Amino acid sequence: MKKILLCCNAGMSTSLLVQKMQKDAAARGLEVTIEARPLNEAMDHLDDASIVLLGPQIGYAKGDFEKACAGKNIPVDVIPMADYGRMNAAKIIDGALAKIG
Amino acid sequence: MAEGKGQAFLDKFAEVSARVGNQVHLRTLRDAFATIMPLYILAGIAVLVNNVVFAYIWGDTGFAPNAEVLANVQTWGSALTLGTLNVSALILAGLIGYCLARNERFDNPLACVVVGISALVIMMPQTVTANLAATSPLLTDKVTSAAVTGALSTANTGTNGLFGAILIGLAAVTVFIKISGVEKLKVNLGEGVPPAVANSFNVMIPMLLSLSIFGVVSAVLAVAFSTDLMTIISTFISTPLKGIMNAGPWAVVLIYTLANLLFCLGIHQSTISGVLLEPILTMLIVDNMATFAAGQPIPADHYMNMQIINSFALIGGSGCTFMLLLDTFLFSKSKTSKTVAKMAILPGLFNINEPVIYGYPIVYNLPLIIPFVIVPDIFIAATYGLTCAGIIGPCVAQVPWTTPPVISALLATGMDWRAAVWQIIEIIIGMAIYLPFMKASERAQELQVEELEA
Repeated sequence: MKKILLCCNAGMSTSLLVQKMQKDAAARGLEVTIEARPLNEAMDHLDDASIVLLGPQIGYAKGDFEKACAGKNIPVDVIPMADYGRMNAAKIIDGALAKIG
Repeated sequence: MAEGKGQAFLDKFAEVSARVGNQVHLRTLRDAFATIMPLYILAGIAVLVNNVVFAYIWGDTGFAPNAEVLANVQTWGSALTLGTLNVSALILAGLIGYCLARNERFDNPLACVVVGISALVIMMPQTVTANLAATSPLLTDKVTSAAVTGALSTANTGTNGLFGAILIGLAAVTVFIKISGVEKLKVNLGEGVPPAVANSFNVMIPMLLSLSIFGVVSAVLAVAFSTDLMTIISTFISTPLKGIMNAGPWAVVLIYTLANLLFCLGIHQSTISGVLLEPILTMLIVDNMATFAAGQPIPADHYMNMQIINSFALIGGSGCTFMLLLDTFLFSKSKTSKTVAKMAILPGLFNINEPVIYGYPIVYNLPLIIPFVIVPDIFIAATYGLTCAGIIGPCVAQVPWTTPPVISALLATGMDWRAAVWQIIEIIIGMAIYLPFMKASERAQELQVEELEA
């Protein structure tokens, strides 16, 4: 099972996106779990993640997450602003799955 | 050419802001305050129930006045105040330790919690002045307080001690982590000794050293200068800083302008405001909760506080975009904007607006950046002004920033209906300001589409 970990400032707006992504994944029958965490908690939940996606509002934290994920083979990516704002769930999932490979 | 320069400046601004927001101690401060928030919300509820709901029922002007019943039921809220506001410096010092350990990737965060709390109490005075209870035989008309030992004063462990908790917590845990990193101090008990035993020594020695240093500082201050670090911090740091925040709305407006501008570049405004503004403004509203709980009037130097932003300058989220969405429903001709607005209106009711910021979009959209920055500024200044003029009551309780408009104004001011009316007026003013900029943004978008098609 692949796990996409999403992270934003307080975990609020991202939880909205997660809901849409879960619906999309279920509709397409994808083997993937998706969860959202606020910035100050996300570091504790890295271990079983397949990929970490950051909201654009905390894109500056990418370096920190890359450091924390180093050696664990967990890619870190920032969700493009337009996809995030329009809650483009399908596109974000496809992008993430492509990165996980 | 000019545009290139402007872009370079904006990029630099975003980069510097991100670096400030990412600084490990400042980030720790923001994380610690985010973690303690539920406790303050609980305190706010207790204060409101005690001083508004109970007073409304059993108070002097209530519909069933009864001083004895009122005092008895208010014991509930007082107990909660004692366990939240009055020990919040102790709790914050521990949280600072934990968050700093996490941000420094130190492998023993719990030891840091212990060091943070312990260092804070080490710096407290050993003799404190306490108010005599109503039942005390010592109580006379002239003598109402006594110097006592063997007690911690809530003046230090509570809201007044928050600044001390931050500075002492950060300093002590930083020293502790530094000393823990010194290889020479690591104990090697040889093979055969369980690693857990050696580890316990490896925590003990740095803890002993770092806390002893703080003990020496505390002793020197007490013996040679008859003072303590808590008093020094309160006099020379927290009082002046709280004063700057309340010397008119300017400091808050300035920092908030920068913060919201940053959001227009795509980076969350709390990167700046969360570290430079919110800790001090939160301390002010927490002070107010304690003052209100004690039944005292809110002093004018506490009129500017976190709730002015959360209730009155964050309607629909940063930039008060709720008004933009209402404008979009009523006056917009753009299909795209209306689709985004439909999706964004429900989260917006709870002041969450990333869909608007990135989807409408506000980011890099000059016509909308202007109202996004100035509307909250106007509301901060106006709400502060109205409070000073006595037209609306000062904020007395912290309510969650996700509370919808009208309800949030009522709760924050302890049920002042005038504050709710002001919030509705704000929505109308905000719609009026946003409207021409929304039109301009739509025209710009139309032109872009035409250019693409041409």
